[in-house]
Amino acid sequence: MAALLHLRDKQISLIILVCFGFFLFFYGTDGFTAFTAEKARTNKLLEEKPRLPEVTLEDSMGRKYGFEAISDKYIFMTFFYTGCTTVCPQLERNVAKVYEQIPENHLGEDIVFLSVSFDPKKDVPEVLKRYGSHFGSDEETWRLARVPKEGELKQLLDEFGVIAIPIGDGDFQHNVAFYLVDRKGFLIDVMDYNDIGGAVERVMEVLDRTKEG
Amino acid sequence: MKRFIYGLLLFAFLAMPPIVSFLESHMLLHMHVQMPLLAFAGMLWTPFLQAKFPRFFSRWNEDGVPGIVLVSLVVTYWILPRAMDEAIQFSSVEVFKFISWPFFVGVAMKDSWKKLKGRQRLFSTLYFSFIYGVMGFVYIFAGEQLCNNYLIVEQRLLGWSFLAISLGAAFYRLRNEALKKRDAAAGRKTKFGS
Repeated sequence: MAALLHLRDKQISLIILVCFGFFLFFYGTDGFTAFTAEKARTNKLLEEKPRLPEVTLEDSMGRKYGFEAISDKYIFMTFFYTGCTTVCPQLERNVAKVYEQIPENHLGEDIVFLSVSFDPKKDVPEVLKRYGSHFGSDEETWRLARVPKEGELKQLLDEFGVIAIPIGDGDFQHNVAFYLVDRKGFLIDVMDYNDIGGAVERVMEVLDRTKEG
Repeated sequence: MKRFIYGLLLFAFLAMPPIVSFLESHMLLHMHVQMPLLAFAGMLWTPFLQAKFPRFFSRWNEDGVPGIVLVSLVVTYWILPRAMDEAIQFSSVEVFKFISWPFFVGVAMKDSWKKLKGRQRLFSTLYFSFIYGVMGFVYIFAGEQLCNNYLIVEQRLLGWSFLAISLGAAFYRLRNEALKKRDAAAGRKTKFGS
């Protein structure tokens, strides 16, 4: 204790600063777990585990249904728009790679792949059909759909933390990920869309678990 | 006093909403124009603040080390990709940016730099060069979007600018030190010679 009395002012200010720095980084990175805003968003989503809201989808075959029509299965979801020339084609190519690696007996039985467009004005069923055929969608086990009602789309994007900002010329600035929804309609994982092996592993893990259970 | 007012004007200019949104529309402007200019405004305030609160500075920042530690901490925080995103997303973080850059970087830097010894200055510069260099590599080679509000192209550009600043600062400081050493050696020689 006596040593404390001999601290010089500059040493005290250093101690205060070190504490300040620690708290700054601790709060700024959620306890050193999230150094990017995207990671922070994902962490928060996984904590909250939002449920799919009630929306009406319209798929590439023009069928209209709600999530409840497919939600007795796991859903491997992505969000995209067909006018996108940068990251979306890569995202859907990566979805195709994951899709190809899932054993056929699971497809459509235990899991459905669903790519949701957030540009309902342009992405009408015919456009989705053409787009999906490029990537090998069979329109049944891998469906492409839009959410025609603006309000419902916004609700879905908000729930899943998808940011899609129109930036003119029909383009959007948006974040990208693989979303995995369980059989009850709850979001259970948000995955790196570039880590195909990791995504396949995670999907197989949940599929195997349900088989045992 | 004049400098203090210029500092205030600069700060007020930077805080104008159209200027804020313009400078934050590009990653490079956000990181290497807006933030340093805020620090510069703080530097302009420093002589006034030093005259107003002389005891505060001499007491808590006696040898300049606490000040430069504060600068290092705050700058390191702001070069995290998340900090830039959150400044745009949350107004509390934006307010923190407009306080931390002028006071914790600008004022602290201005008050500390002259008090530091040559070796401490060299060390500080090398630290900033190092973290800027690391961030340069991170932003150039990340391959994915690190900031939700900025495109990958901008991210790469920012990476290269980080690298350029890093190398430039390190080169400048090392050369300065070398020159000083040479002059000192020459000075000693003439002294002994005469």
